[in-house]
Amino acid sequence: MPQVKIIAKNFIDMVASLPAVKLDMLYANPFICEAILRSLPPLAKKYVLQMMYIDAPIPAKSLEEWVLPDGLSKHRVAIDRLIQLRVLSETVDRKKETSYEMNKKFQINLQKQLIHGGILPREPMASSSVILPSSEELEIYALEQWEHFLLHLISSNQSEKLTNFSSSMMKVFQRGLLSQRDKEASRLTEYGFQFLLMETNAQLWYIIREYIANAEERGVDPANIISFLLELSFHETGQAYNINTLNEVQLNTIKDLSDLGLVKLQQGRKESWFLPTKLATTLSVSLSDTATRKQGYVVVETNFKMYAYSTSKLHCEIMRLFARIEYELPNLIVGAINKESLYNAFDNGITSDQIVSFLQQNAHPRVAEKVPTVPENVTDQIRLWESDLNRVEMAPAQFYDEFPSKDLFEAVCDFAREYGALLWDDSKKMQLVVKGELHNEMREFLRRQKQ
Amino acid sequence: MGIHGEKSRHSKKHKSSKDDHHRVTEDGNAYFAAEDFDDDRIPEGEPKKRDFTKLELKPDHLNRPLWACADGRIFLETFSPLYKQAYDFLIAIAEPVCRPESMHEYNLTPHSLYAAVSVGLETETIITVLNKLSKTKLPKEMIDFIHGSTANYGKVKLVLKKNRYFIESPFPEVLKKLLKDEVIGKARISAEVVHGADGFTVSKSLNELGGGHDDLLSEAELAAAAEEKDTHAFEIDPVQVENVKQRCLPNALNYPMLEEYDFRNDTVNPDLDMELKPHAQPRPYQEKSLSKMFGNGRARSGIIVLPCGAGKSLVGVSAACRIKKSCLCLATNAVSVDQWAFQFKLWSTIRDDHICRFTSDSKERFRGNVGVVVTTYNMVAFGGKRSEESEKIIEEIRNREWGLLLMDEVHVVPAHMFRKVISITKSHCKLGLTATLVREDERITDLNFLIGPKLYEANWLDLVKSGFIANVQCAEVWCPMTKEFFAEYLKKENSKKKQALYVMNPNKFRACEFLIRFHERERGDKIIVFADNLFALTEYAMKLRKPMIYGATSHVERTKILEAFKTSKDVNTIFLSKVGDNSIDIPEANVIIQISSHAGSRRQEAQRLGRILRAKGRLEDRLAGGKEEYNAFFYSLVSTDTQEMYYSTKRQQFLIDQGYSFKVITSLPPPDCGAELSYNKLQEQMDLLRKVLSAGDDAVGLEMLEEDADEVALMKARRSSGSMSVMSGANGMVYMEYSTGHKRLVKSKPKDPSKRHYLFKKRFT
Amino acid sequence: MVNATRGLLISCDIPMAQFIISMNNSKPSNQKFIIHVLDDTHLFVQPHATEMIRIAIAEFREANTYEKPA
Repeated sequence: MPQVKIIAKNFIDMVASLPAVKLDMLYANPFICEAILRSLPPLAKKYVLQMMYIDAPIPAKSLEEWVLPDGLSKHRVAIDRLIQLRVLSETVDRKKETSYEMNKKFQINLQKQLIHGGILPREPMASSSVILPSSEELEIYALEQWEHFLLHLISSNQSEKLTNFSSSMMKVFQRGLLSQRDKEASRLTEYGFQFLLMETNAQLWYIIREYIANAEERGVDPANIISFLLELSFHETGQAYNINTLNEVQLNTIKDLSDLGLVKLQQGRKESWFLPTKLATTLSVSLSDTATRKQGYVVVETNFKMYAYSTSKLHCEIMRLFARIEYELPNLIVGAINKESLYNAFDNGITSDQIVSFLQQNAHPRVAEKVPTVPENVTDQIRLWESDLNRVEMAPAQFYDEFPSKDLFEAVCDFAREYGALLWDDSKKMQLVVKGELHNEMREFLRRQKQ
Repeated sequence: MGIHGEKSRHSKKHKSSKDDHHRVTEDGNAYFAAEDFDDDRIPEGEPKKRDFTKLELKPDHLNRPLWACADGRIFLETFSPLYKQAYDFLIAIAEPVCRPESMHEYNLTPHSLYAAVSVGLETETIITVLNKLSKTKLPKEMIDFIHGSTANYGKVKLVLKKNRYFIESPFPEVLKKLLKDEVIGKARISAEVVHGADGFTVSKSLNELGGGHDDLLSEAELAAAAEEKDTHAFEIDPVQVENVKQRCLPNALNYPMLEEYDFRNDTVNPDLDMELKPHAQPRPYQEKSLSKMFGNGRARSGIIVLPCGAGKSLVGVSAACRIKKSCLCLATNAVSVDQWAFQFKLWSTIRDDHICRFTSDSKERFRGNVGVVVTTYNMVAFGGKRSEESEKIIEEIRNREWGLLLMDEVHVVPAHMFRKVISITKSHCKLGLTATLVREDERITDLNFLIGPKLYEANWLDLVKSGFIANVQCAEVWCPMTKEFFAEYLKKENSKKKQALYVMNPNKFRACEFLIRFHERERGDKIIVFADNLFALTEYAMKLRKPMIYGATSHVERTKILEAFKTSKDVNTIFLSKVGDNSIDIPEANVIIQISSHAGSRRQEAQRLGRILRAKGRLEDRLAGGKEEYNAFFYSLVSTDTQEMYYSTKRQQFLIDQGYSFKVITSLPPPDCGAELSYNKLQEQMDLLRKVLSAGDDAVGLEMLEEDADEVALMKARRSSGSMSVMSGANGMVYMEYSTGHKRLVKSKPKDPSKRHYLFKKRFT
Repeated sequence: MVNATRGLLISCDIPMAQFIISMNNSKPSNQKFIIHVLDDTHLFVQPHATEMIRIAIAEFREANTYEKPA
């Protein structure tokens, strides 16, 4: 049994958490086997390669011999991973000896992949029949699609159908991000605000995760989507692939993926094709919680002014979350952080930490090398303003006094303390304050004490 | 609490009437104010629409350093390779809004363009260079605005040549227009020799000598700008000069005249033998400012803006040395007078008998018919009875023709004072020096028409980077109010004592004591503690056993204390009241602690900082990484949860706009040294509280400086209207003439649209 | 007999406690909301006082803060 529970922090983790049957089906595809191989921690990779041509089970002890004593924990992690991914299966014999055997399907297909180099179910189209966009253009396209999607996601106008996603799919995405109120326009929830300040790949990962999780409700096998995504990651960025090579599921999926900026759809006179963008071909990177080095664009000045070198409407909206936008120029957004704008953000559940990390992580290269990237007086002030809000705590409570004896007083204190409900007490005056929710129990307790 | 009844946006409409109290204008309705402008443009409550995303970026926009918006706002990237030239250009044509490290903001205003034109920049040059530097095509509104603003400015000059006054212009049609006016027409003296058809004398115009943004213009553009133009002129009666100037102001003919003094050809007034000494090496920014003043060989009148401690006295003395005529130097108070006299002797070869001081304490006179007189504004403008001796000196001052009127701290002294001084004295050239300019957008103040436009403004951060002024660590120390003090502060019946309570907050006292100990013992620094609340000043100074100087301290006593501060190892901390704001020059102090900072004056904050801006040590040490990189400290002690927080933030605005930042310190004094400091025991604190509460109401207010020409806050307006608007900038600075009986004329602002400034009339009908 | 009172426990710093006390003092006696002043940093008040206190604190804070106009 795997000793470490894996939390699906990225796409591969999600793959690993598929039920056994599904996973086995995936391994029929050599590309998927290679993708899985690539995603493994180094030690696990080594084990797979070494066991590639071994048909018989290998005793666990032998495997352990391959590792130095101080590498045992890494060994454990690698083994767990392989088991979870069903690349290795564990058997324990009568003598309580453990041994591992490689998944046959996985093994065969991986062998195929390594020897034959792998042939995708589709070839890039000849450049004579298509005019390819430059890599720059494609990147801009991907970014624009994604931003367009995000803007649509957070706008409360649900009737407009500006994307390929069905409105019910959009609702799924919006669940948790927007509060759905029937009569009023929906507002961003606390998580919704935080979502907007997250790294792009963390956001994308959230969306894809929901998309896959929701697949069954749409009558689609999640494994098919996962398999298609994995396959996509082996395509060449910017090359055109004919749409007619896609099956029905894939065809539907590709339109959705285009909305997210993973592929670009184009139509010629006779044929249609798709081009994978970097988002699709670097899945394991683009779909994870880990931060990637993005080009920063924000300069924060000591006088609380913010200059964002960006034309993105999305960036403008994000900045509006906690700053006052003063000027919008063709390639610059000028804003000012002040108490009012920050309090607005705090009211919406955004924390000072989130704002500060957003500013730090998105620092323009020109100031990114400075220490600190964001002026100290600005970060200090943001935090101070936040703490100013929390100076007064109020809790519904009960106040008890007029105790006939010290013993009773102390007993009551202990009682409240056990429930974690003692908020305040003064043993000299024999008074205490207890959380309001404990009132009934307290009344009971006191009644019992009288007897 | 609601002591200030206004918040940001809503207040714009109502600020106006309270702002203008001190501006006495003859007609009372001459100048529009920013508030008018806003009334027209923005419906109440709506944010200004500033979406300029449609502007077209030029293909090489990355190489250009600035963006220009249709509303006059300009953004400048400081890291651009063209920054230096762009800065020089922008500071000449626009008003800086903020100048921190990476990005500057400026505003193009009619006033700033007037200043541009008066240092010789032509309309087309301005537009061409701006366009060159701009990332986008210049918005049409801006081009129109520049045309509109510069249409009339700089077209007419008043020149004093050989004691005769001439009105000059390259545009004869403008002169003709002027002459149609009755007053001007009557003032004209017809020339004997006539060249032009209109009876104007014609001569070749002077060109700008260098510094004309040559590197930003192409050859063709340069040639066009340098095209020789003829200058037309007519003479006017010297007696009528003031009247003619009046008629040219914006409220009348709207051709405000530039004043230039052709001192080289002034054979009537005797020369003053003074040169700059060889050791007087002007720094680049000082040179630049002088080159703007003397750009075309004549002396232009105007204002030079340099940060405190950056050496404006050298600029003043240099100007006097170039002009070499009698110079009247005006300072704000007696100590400053001493300082200026000292500076003149330090930097120039002027003989001792050619320079004299005129204050209530010294009534010197120079020998001969030429020299430098250093005095205070108050001495000259005083309208009451003087002593016989003073009377004689004033007469002399009045009758002499001064080559240079050198005015220090021009933005401390309000307009009506100037009016008086300028009307009493006759001078050919007026140079105003200051560290801070009022930053009221689009408002043409009296000052600029009385003295002249801004000639040059240096950038604080640039000067810090080059090591010319000290790199100061600014900090705001938050001192929580003690329970008892705060309880009293909150009581309604103590509303008059609020200031005393938050200044005498024991926690603040302890923080101050801790800082003094730390800087004296650990670092051997020289410390000045400022308090404009006399009660506090006395209590603090006496409790800590440190010398103090305030309004009533005699000149002799002051000198003694300052001397000890400078030289003695035992006197390292002195307490100063507001007298210390302008007058006292203490180069050796490097720590300032502010315990009472009333009235929210931005200028005051900047000037206090100026006390320690004078760079000390060697240049290399002061630059980044050097051991003196941060050797100056400015602490503002503020009691939290009180009005003081509001004032403190407001006061800091100017410095923040120059690029300084205030670090907030919340943990002074450190808890472990509590017992060593005063007021550790509750009983002590309660005694202090009792003392504060039982002191008379007046005793715990601001110090009122009667005789000294220091700034005095507008106490009356503050107490009656309780408006915060009077706290900002120059509005808080009003001279209190102690011959009261002097009614100040206050005219209300014109609501009549036809009386508004013509530029804005045109745009918004 | 032990006495129980329902209300709201306020925990805050010393200045805020003083502020709330001063707020209470300025109210007419039928509107006073503090039941007990427990110590320097704790107050026991009537349950309905939440909003009123929050608003008063927010206003007080506003009054002491300078915001640079747009």
